[in-house]
Amino acid sequence: METTVPGWETVARSCFFLGTSASLLLSVPGVTGLQGSTMLESLEDADFERGMANESDVHAFFSLDYQHVQVPFEITLWIMLASLAKIAFHLFERLPSVVPESCLLIFVGLIMGGIIYGLNDKSPPVMNSDIFFLYLLPPIVLDAGYFMPSRPFFENIGTILLYAVVGTIWNVFGIGFSLYGICQVDTFHLRDISLLHNLLFSSLIAAVDPVAVLSVFEEIHVNEKLHILVFGESLLNDAVSVVLYKLFRAFCEMPSIQTTDVFAGIGSFFVVGIGGVLVGLLFGLIASFTTRFTDNIRVIEPLFVFLYSYLSYLTAEMFHLSGIVAIIACAMGMKRYVEANISLKSHTTIKYFMKMWSSVSDTLIFIFLGVSTIGDNHEWSWPYIFFTIVFCLLWRALGVLVLTFIINRLHVNTVTSKDQFIIAYGGLRGAICFSLVFLLPDFQRKKLFIAATTVVILFTVFVQGTTIRPLVDLLDVTRKQESTPTVGEQIHIRFLDHLLAGIEDISGHWGQYYWKDKLEYLNSKYLQKFLLREYAQPKSSIVLLYEKLERKHAIELAETGQLMYGPSHHPLLHTDKPPTSVIESDSLSLDVVDDIQKILERNLYKTRRTVPAYNRHTLPPGESEPAEHAKQILILRHKNWQMQMNSSDSDHVIKEKGDSGSLDGGTQPGPRLCRSLTAKHPRETPNVKSNRSRSVGFIIPLRQGTPQWMNDQETSKSPISEEK
Amino acid sequence: MGARHSQPVSVPEQEEIMAETGFSQANVECLYQRFQVLDKEEKGYLSKSDLEGIGTLAINPIGDRIVGAFFQDGRETADFRTFVQVLAHFRPVEESASSEGVNSRLSKLQFAFQLYDQDKDGKISRAEMLEVLRMMVGIQVTDEQLESITDRTIQEADKDQDGALSFAEFAKSVEKLNIEQKMSLRILK
Repeated sequence: METTVPGWETVARSCFFLGTSASLLLSVPGVTGLQGSTMLESLEDADFERGMANESDVHAFFSLDYQHVQVPFEITLWIMLASLAKIAFHLFERLPSVVPESCLLIFVGLIMGGIIYGLNDKSPPVMNSDIFFLYLLPPIVLDAGYFMPSRPFFENIGTILLYAVVGTIWNVFGIGFSLYGICQVDTFHLRDISLLHNLLFSSLIAAVDPVAVLSVFEEIHVNEKLHILVFGESLLNDAVSVVLYKLFRAFCEMPSIQTTDVFAGIGSFFVVGIGGVLVGLLFGLIASFTTRFTDNIRVIEPLFVFLYSYLSYLTAEMFHLSGIVAIIACAMGMKRYVEANISLKSHTTIKYFMKMWSSVSDTLIFIFLGVSTIGDNHEWSWPYIFFTIVFCLLWRALGVLVLTFIINRLHVNTVTSKDQFIIAYGGLRGAICFSLVFLLPDFQRKKLFIAATTVVILFTVFVQGTTIRPLVDLLDVTRKQESTPTVGEQIHIRFLDHLLAGIEDISGHWGQYYWKDKLEYLNSKYLQKFLLREYAQPKSSIVLLYEKLERKHAIELAETGQLMYGPSHHPLLHTDKPPTSVIESDSLSLDVVDDIQKILERNLYKTRRTVPAYNRHTLPPGESEPAEHAKQILILRHKNWQMQMNSSDSDHVIKEKGDSGSLDGGTQPGPRLCRSLTAKHPRETPNVKSNRSRSVGFIIPLRQGTPQWMNDQETSKSPISEEK
Repeated sequence: MGARHSQPVSVPEQEEIMAETGFSQANVECLYQRFQVLDKEEKGYLSKSDLEGIGTLAINPIGDRIVGAFFQDGRETADFRTFVQVLAHFRPVEESASSEGVNSRLSKLQFAFQLYDQDKDGKISRAEMLEVLRMMVGIQVTDEQLESITDRTIQEADKDQDGALSFAEFAKSVEKLNIEQKMSLRILK
């Protein structure tokens, strides 16, 4: 893009804007039509007849029958608008980093709402709560649950649950009671809002919204643990807020409240939460089981993942359990087994479709939020709204402080004060609050609540969303390097990062072993046999092994010691030192440090920590690039071992073999295997045979390989010894 | 922390280990449990293949070197004491720490230096630097580029112009880095 003339770029962008605004205008009749479609159907019948009458009058070659396609047409136009708006934002590279996308989308929504209001002179369509809860929310939550990195999630599950459950309850009651206190002040004319109404309002405004959090947090790069804390909290607090909301709503309608009702409420919390998890796991189990049998119809495999997840959501909602918790439990539960059962292409399809749907949903939600803001739905009361915002911030900050204090006493991994600030400040409210407020029963002050909710959401998304990034940067008080790091520093930094990651792997993660081991035991004993297609280590085919050498598989293979297939690196050898066509055109005048810096930046392997696990716009980067790196590393390592084997004398080799008692088929049989097959050292072959049965298991399938393969091995041995 | 506080774990040489590494008793016990998990066949010591069997370590570019750090001086086995001694380098630094402890900045740097300097001559030669660089960089980088980068690295830090980096030069080149943070694991506190 940098090579094109700047003029062309602006032309392209302005064309794009014209296109976007054209679609905006086009969707206006769509929206007015949408309004019509949500109204009574008798109107539609009348239109239909009119349409019929028109047609019979004139036999035209070209006639317009809008009513026929109205609903799908409008839906498509809205989605089109959302997607075009998204593209438009990303055309300006700097803009998404300054203003979070959600703000811009709400802004577009506001404009749309304004246009509709101006044209129609009546309120634009309000986002239907059903549409939101049944159609727009599930894809986002599914996407979040499916790509949730499970290790950090379960490591921090205690903290997350504490924030989600206790924190939300704290917020709800805190905000509710403080607002009630404000209402008691006579000058504000708010006396008529009862305590119960206040609590009802606070129950829907207190919960942190996953959609908003996600969209803002991905632009500030915080460390993995922090991300998972806020994110996990925003997902799990749904259970609590659902219970409290329904509880207070039921209380509003009951004439009198007894203590048994309160206890029933507390009990229902457990039912909702645990019930949601159980429903999700059940559907996850069924989904895994189903994918066991799909090897003949690969094409519909992705469909099962989506169908079962959606079913779990709907089932949970049907029983008034927490649908969000259910869908997350389903996604996390089935992921492992489904990914083992389905083909690679289905795998990619699932990931892409999930990203796509969640992206669209996300955009639509924010646009609708903007649209629904304009209109006559609001009753304004400065004090109430102002104090709502103040109390939301205040109680969240207090809650985070207190809870973190408790957590830091119990855990080794402390939550620093900078983390605490981000958790407190990153508690954004979003569309869930908005939909819940519209579901409130109609009573006198409902419009006030709607107005307050709208203001809080807009405030959190705009103000907090925009300022969180500069604040995070400001708080990063660690010494900033005034100058760019020298080449040596860059290398050493990366070296130390790798070192630390390695030491971390060696020292392991403490405290989780008990449950993890139990779960692993359960898994290997029962679940795997039931849910996986063939539980076979990839011993049978070397080609299959090479194809499956994704990063995760590479880790597993290393752990079971199955890595040392000589010919598995054989195809790669020929591409190892690629001809100049593959190399990028780096200038060879490497006296300039800049070039070196660029090369290093591009080519140094990244550590686990620097690769973010969850990304809104693309597939997790952990899928393509680090997989390639992992392959290269393994292959290089294998070559090194080979070289060591080849260059050391046989005495040394025999000594090593005798000594390493725990022969998990580790380093020893592999290279020796290759060498025996190259028939260079016939006396090595008896050593191979005398190895343990596990390694013999390697040999047998290899022998069943075609002679052609063995010839390949022969010919490739010369490059092996030539390399390095 | 650990899930097994109720059972007292008998750790060999516990007192000596606590004294020389500065780990608390709870930490030593956790490390011992980890040691036992790694030592799959309950030999009482670790061999290289035990550590190489850690999956994420196998795809670490410098995994070999890290494993080698536990098996210095040509040893083939690592007992628990050695295990803890190596890990002790990564304890976070306390406020009042002197520069003598095993987790001081100096000690951490010496540990890192050892990983570069394989032949233990006290200097990182050009060949050693090149080797490390080769491990950390993708296969697209040509040998010429690697050599240039290595030359540049050595040239930047080599004050006495002997074509190799001594420990002092190495320490100087990383003086701006926050080694205390970069080489500390919070859980080892």
